[in-house]
Amino acid sequence: MTDMLSLAGTGPVVLAVFVILIFFSVVSWAIIFFKLFQIHKANSESVRFMDFFWKTKRFDTIAAQADRFASSPLVMLFNEGYSELKQVMDGDAKQEQAGVSTDLGDIENVSRALRRATNQEINRLEKYTTFLATTGSASPFIGLFGTVWGIMVAFEGIGRTGSASLAVVAPGISEALRATAIGLIAAIPAVMAYNHFQHKIRVLVKEMDSFSTEFLNIVQRNITGK
Amino acid sequence: MHALHRRSDTWLGVTLLLSATVHVAAFVCMLWLQQLNPALDQLQTTYYVDVVNLPVVAPQAGNPLPEANATVEEAVATAPQAGPQKPPATPLPASGGGKVPPSEDHGFQERMAKLTAKAAEQRQAAALESLRAKISGGKTGMPGATGSQSGSDYTAYLHSRLKDAFRETISYQSAAPFAVVRLTIDGDGRILLTRFERSSGDKLFESAVQRAITLAEQRIVPPPGRTTYEGTFVFKPQGVTQQ
Repeated sequence: MTDMLSLAGTGPVVLAVFVILIFFSVVSWAIIFFKLFQIHKANSESVRFMDFFWKTKRFDTIAAQADRFASSPLVMLFNEGYSELKQVMDGDAKQEQAGVSTDLGDIENVSRALRRATNQEINRLEKYTTFLATTGSASPFIGLFGTVWGIMVAFEGIGRTGSASLAVVAPGISEALRATAIGLIAAIPAVMAYNHFQHKIRVLVKEMDSFSTEFLNIVQRNITGK
Repeated sequence: MHALHRRSDTWLGVTLLLSATVHVAAFVCMLWLQQLNPALDQLQTTYYVDVVNLPVVAPQAGNPLPEANATVEEAVATAPQAGPQKPPATPLPASGGGKVPPSEDHGFQERMAKLTAKAAEQRQAAALESLRAKISGGKTGMPGATGSQSGSDYTAYLHSRLKDAFRETISYQSAAPFAVVRLTIDGDGRILLTRFERSSGDKLFESAVQRAITLAEQRIVPPPGRTTYEGTFVFKPQGVTQQ
């Protein structure tokens, strides 16, 4: 425990390893906090939005109130689907005047818009999680590199002084092992958080798929009359 | 939609700041805990108890008086020996050169064994009684000590502290270094002067000796009678000896 936090006498390579690992730790914890907040908000607002969606009969009313649930990915899907639907309806009105029917093509357009919005939302939800995966996999190796380097330097010192007493060997090795410890401290929460977020995102993706299907059903039943 | 994305990403800056703060707080907490719990090696002191010569509880008690020495020697002499005891030599037949009959010899052996056992019991009882008297005497230090004598017991005490400290700091790079150090300790138990009377020529070793003296200084009590004490010690890789 003595001088555990002291960096006096630490070599430049081991010091660089410490700096890198601390950077990884700080950024990964920032991402963990950010994702916790983002996914929690997305979940809670999705639940509220779905309640509102099923209670409200009109799409234009839902669209007007959608800003209240801005963090929900389902709202983004609804906005994209609704705006595409409006464009299709406007186009249909013109085509009906010209005597051309394009019902199947209309649904396909809305479906494509929903798929595109789903992909955008998945990208948004998965943004920065790759950094957590990188931290989880790379930090222990970076720490191990610091340890190996530190032990190399310690053994060089033993060779120079010609003494292999514990007082000479122990401080260098203890300092080197600190690098592995910091690497693990950075990696363990990152891996745990990455797995947790992946699970939560998978659940949200399934909800988005369900919502897209429901939206298309409603469009097909009520708007195109099929 | 894009506005919503931008809005959600601004939180990343806030969480980055939060993360940095948490890391700094964790670092400060660790520093604080380290200060709260000082190094264990400064708190734990190993005491060695000499079972033959009872430990001097307070070095200020000084040396035992000559008559007290006699008491101790007597107690040691009468104390039962830990190792296997040799049976007392059987006295040879007085004279005549005639052989003793086997039955008579056997009876003599038995009587001798009984006498030996009785004598051993008496010695054990006397030693125990002597130890009880010393323990229940209520005085610290060796029997008969008045606390006025200064000298060799404090040297032994100091030697023990130096030996403990040197075990923690020892390091050397030459083959068999040894250094002779003269210490002057003031009435408050502080080391006034550390003089290397013989240098080992090994910088690492001498640094270890110096560190051992500094470490020992934190643990030592003032000399008897709070007088200035001077003593010479020899530091070797095998340990510390008095000179």
